[in-house]
Amino acid sequence: MGITAETARYLASRLVTSIIIVFGAMLLLFTLSALVPGDPAVTLLGPQATPELAAHFIREMGLDQPLHIRLWRFFSNVLTGNLGQDVLSGRYVTGMVGAVLPSTIILTFMAIFLAVLFGVPLGCFAATHRGSFFDHVLAILSVTFIAIPSFVVAIFLLLVFAIWLDWLPVLGTSGTGSFADEAKRMILPTIALAIGWIGFIARLVRSSMLEILGENHIRTMRAYGLPERLIVYKYALKNACIPIIAILGLGIGRLLGGAVLVEIVFSRPGLGRLVYDAIAARNYPVLQGSVLVVVLLFVVTNLLVDLSYSAIDPRIRRRAEREGMPK
Amino acid sequence: MSLKINRRDILAGTAAFGLAGLASAPERGLAQDAPRRNIAVRVERDPEVIDPIERKGPHDGNICRVVFQNLVRNKPNSAELDNDAAEEIKQTSPTMVDFKLKPGQMFTDGFGEMSAEDVKFSFERIGIAKEGAKPSTYRGDWTNLERVEVTGQYTGRIVLSKPNAALFQIAIGDISGAIVSKKAVEARGGEFSAKPVGSGPFVLASLERQRGAVLKASPTYKGPKPAFDEIAVRFIPDNKATELALRSGELDFAVVPPPTAEALKGAAGVTISPQPGLQYIWLGLNVEKGPLADLRVRQAIRLGLDVDQMLLAGYNGVVPRLNALIPAPILGNWKDAPLYKRNVEEARKLLKESGQSNIKLKLLVLNQPAFQNMALVARALLQEIGITVEVDARDGGTFWTAGKGDAGKDIEMYMTVFNGKLDPNFLTQWFVTSQIGNWNWQRFANPTFDMLVNEAAGELDPVKRAALIIAAQKEMDKSAAFVWLTNNAALVAHRSWLKPASIPGWLDWQYANFAAGSA
Repeated sequence: MGITAETARYLASRLVTSIIIVFGAMLLLFTLSALVPGDPAVTLLGPQATPELAAHFIREMGLDQPLHIRLWRFFSNVLTGNLGQDVLSGRYVTGMVGAVLPSTIILTFMAIFLAVLFGVPLGCFAATHRGSFFDHVLAILSVTFIAIPSFVVAIFLLLVFAIWLDWLPVLGTSGTGSFADEAKRMILPTIALAIGWIGFIARLVRSSMLEILGENHIRTMRAYGLPERLIVYKYALKNACIPIIAILGLGIGRLLGGAVLVEIVFSRPGLGRLVYDAIAARNYPVLQGSVLVVVLLFVVTNLLVDLSYSAIDPRIRRRAEREGMPK
Repeated sequence: MSLKINRRDILAGTAAFGLAGLASAPERGLAQDAPRRNIAVRVERDPEVIDPIERKGPHDGNICRVVFQNLVRNKPNSAELDNDAAEEIKQTSPTMVDFKLKPGQMFTDGFGEMSAEDVKFSFERIGIAKEGAKPSTYRGDWTNLERVEVTGQYTGRIVLSKPNAALFQIAIGDISGAIVSKKAVEARGGEFSAKPVGSGPFVLASLERQRGAVLKASPTYKGPKPAFDEIAVRFIPDNKATELALRSGELDFAVVPPPTAEALKGAAGVTISPQPGLQYIWLGLNVEKGPLADLRVRQAIRLGLDVDQMLLAGYNGVVPRLNALIPAPILGNWKDAPLYKRNVEEARKLLKESGQSNIKLKLLVLNQPAFQNMALVARALLQEIGITVEVDARDGGTFWTAGKGDAGKDIEMYMTVFNGKLDPNFLTQWFVTSQIGNWNWQRFANPTFDMLVNEAAGELDPVKRAALIIAAQKEMDKSAAFVWLTNNAALVAHRSWLKPASIPGWLDWQYANFAAGSA
C-alpha cells in the first residue's frame, strides 16, 4: 500500500504544525533566557570571572547579540546539524546530547513498558471485578502510586533493595560497559519512574473498560455466547486502548525530559539532568541544544501516536478516509 | 517443540529469581568491605575539562593533579612542597627561578619525553595572554610572569616582572603549574581537555558526561607507584545517593555535608573524619548603602549577631568559628583577632548614637540550607536590637551576579562562601578597591589595605609578609564591614580501610596518595 495523496497532505500539514511547535518552543526559550536574571559568565566562571574574561564569554555565547539574531544563528546552525558549542568545555552540544540520549530513551521506554505491562492487566481486572474487594484495594494502590513523587519512591526502593536486602546497586550506572551490570542498575530507576504510571494506566484502563463493557456491541457478543475472556481482552480492550495510547504519547514525551529527579537520585546520565544543570549554570548553548532535542522527541512521539490511532481503530480509519487523513 | 508457560511457571520462576538474589546478597556486601586495588570516589560536579588552562574547579583540578606532573608539588596531607618533575629548583633572585628537570619523564600516548620546552609552553599558555586569544581563567595565578626561558633540554628559567610571593604555592606547585605535552596540545587541539596527555601517576581512561571519570595507573610514570590501579571518579549530585552508596560499599570516599555525616554515623565500615576546611564564609555589609554607611550601625550589627548560634543553626555546630580572614594554617593568621560576643546593650547604644531608627535591611543569601538557616537566626538576633531584616534567598545563578557592576550598589547585607588556597594573597585579593563592582561586595575601599596587600604579594620574607597581612586584616576589622563566620569543615567519609589524602583544607585531594590502611 503506497502513500496516497490524502496521506501525503495530512503528513505535510502535521510536519508544518510540528515545525511551528518547535520554532515556538525555541522562541519562548530564547525569550525566557533573556529575561531570567543572572549573568551566565559569572555563574559559569565563579570568582575567576574577571570583567575581561566575562566579556569574552558573553561574546562567545552570542549573548551580546539581539534576540532575533541569536535565534536566526541557532536555527541556521541546527540545519547543518550543529546544536552549538559549550563555551566553557569547548565541547559540541550535539556530542553532549548524544552521550546521554541513549540512557534517557532506554529508561523512558523501559518505564513505559513496565507501566503498560502491569497497568493494563490491573485495570482490566479492576473493571471486570467492579465493586469487589480487589477493586477497592487496587483503587487505593493506584491512587497511592500516582500520588507519591517518583524521587520518594526512588529513595524508598534504594533503602529496601540496595541497603536492607543488598540485592541491587545504589548507583544507576557503573560506566563499566558490562551489559549485565548496566541491566541490573536499570531495575530500580525503571520501577521508580514506572510506578506512578502503573497507577495512572490502571485507573484509565478501568474507567475506559467500564464504559466499553456497557456498550451495545458487547452486550450482543455476550448474547451470542462468546467467552467473557475473549470479549474483555480481544474486543473491549482494543477499544479501551485508544485513550491509553494518547496518554502514553504524552507520557513518553514528558519522561524524555522530565525524569530528572530519578536521574539525580540514581546518579544516572540523562537529558533531563543535562537541561537541569544547564539551567542552574545559565549555560545557554547547552540549554538551547538540549531543549531542542527534548521538543523534537516530544513532537515526533506525539506524531507517531496520532498515526497509530487509525491502525488500531477502524472507525478512525474510515473517518480518515473521508477526511483525507492517513490510513 | 512448543514452549508453554503457565501461571505456575511464572510464579515458580519469580520465586527462584528472588531466592537466587537473596543467596547472592551476602557475598556482595563482604566483597566491598575489604581493601581493593580499585576505589570509587564521589565528586559533586561533573568532571569536564581535564586541562589546567580551563579546569572548572577542584573536581577537574584534582584529576589534573594526578594526570600531569608539576615541577614541585605538595607532600601528602601537607602544605609543604617537594620536588616532582624537577630535579632541582631554586629562586636565584626575587624575580627569577631556575629549574632542571629529571631526565626520562615520559608523556603518555607516545608523546615523548618531557623537556623544558614543555614547561615553558605550559606556564606561558596560562600566565601570558596572547593577542586576540581568550585569556585563561587562571591567569591571575601566574601574576607578574614575564617569560620562561629554555636554557637546555632539561633546564630553564622562570622570569617575573616583579616579585610574587605566592609563585610556588599558587602557580608552580598548584594546578596552574601542571606540565602538559606541547606536542599533544597542538595535535589534539580542542580535544585535549577530554584526552589529556601528561606524565603523572594516572592516565585518564575515560571521561563521560554525567558519569564521571576513570583514572588508571600510568605504566610510564617514573615516580612512586600509587596504591590503587584504578580510581573511578563518580559524579553524584545527590547527597542521599552518596550516603546510600557509601553504606552499600559502592563508594569509598566522599566529602559530605553535616546532615549526611550525621546519617552515616555508625554505618558499618564507614569512617567520618572531620577536617578543617579552607573555604571562607562571612556576612558582608555594604559600607556605601543607606544606614550601613555609618560605622556605628555596622558595629552594632556585628555586636548584635551571635556567630556561634548562627553556626549551630547552619552547620549543626560541627564547624569551627573564624575570627579573621586568614585561618590558622596559612601565613598571616591573626591569632589575637578580636572575638566579638553578642552584646545587645552595646549594640542598641551604638544604634542610638548613630541617630538611625527603624532600620530595615535585606540579607542576600544562597538558597542552600546552611545559609538560609544562618540567615533566619541573624534575622531573629538583629530584630532584638531593633533592625528588621528581610532574607532574600537566591539560586547560584542570580546570587553570584548580584554584586556585579552598579547592581552591587543595591546590596545591603549578604552572606557568601569563597574557596581558599594556602596563600594569604589569594584570600585577600577579592577585597581590594579595584574589586568593587566585581567581588568586593562590601564596597570596602581602603588605600592602606590595598597598599599592605600589594606589598605582601611581593614580600619574600615570610615574617615580614605575615606582619603585612595581619595589618591588612586589622584594617578590615576596623571597617566592621565583615562578620567572619567559619572556614567550614570538610566531613570526610570513607571506608574504614581507606586512608585518603589531601592538601590541608580538603578541597585539593591527592588521589595519588590515597592508600589502604586505616586513617
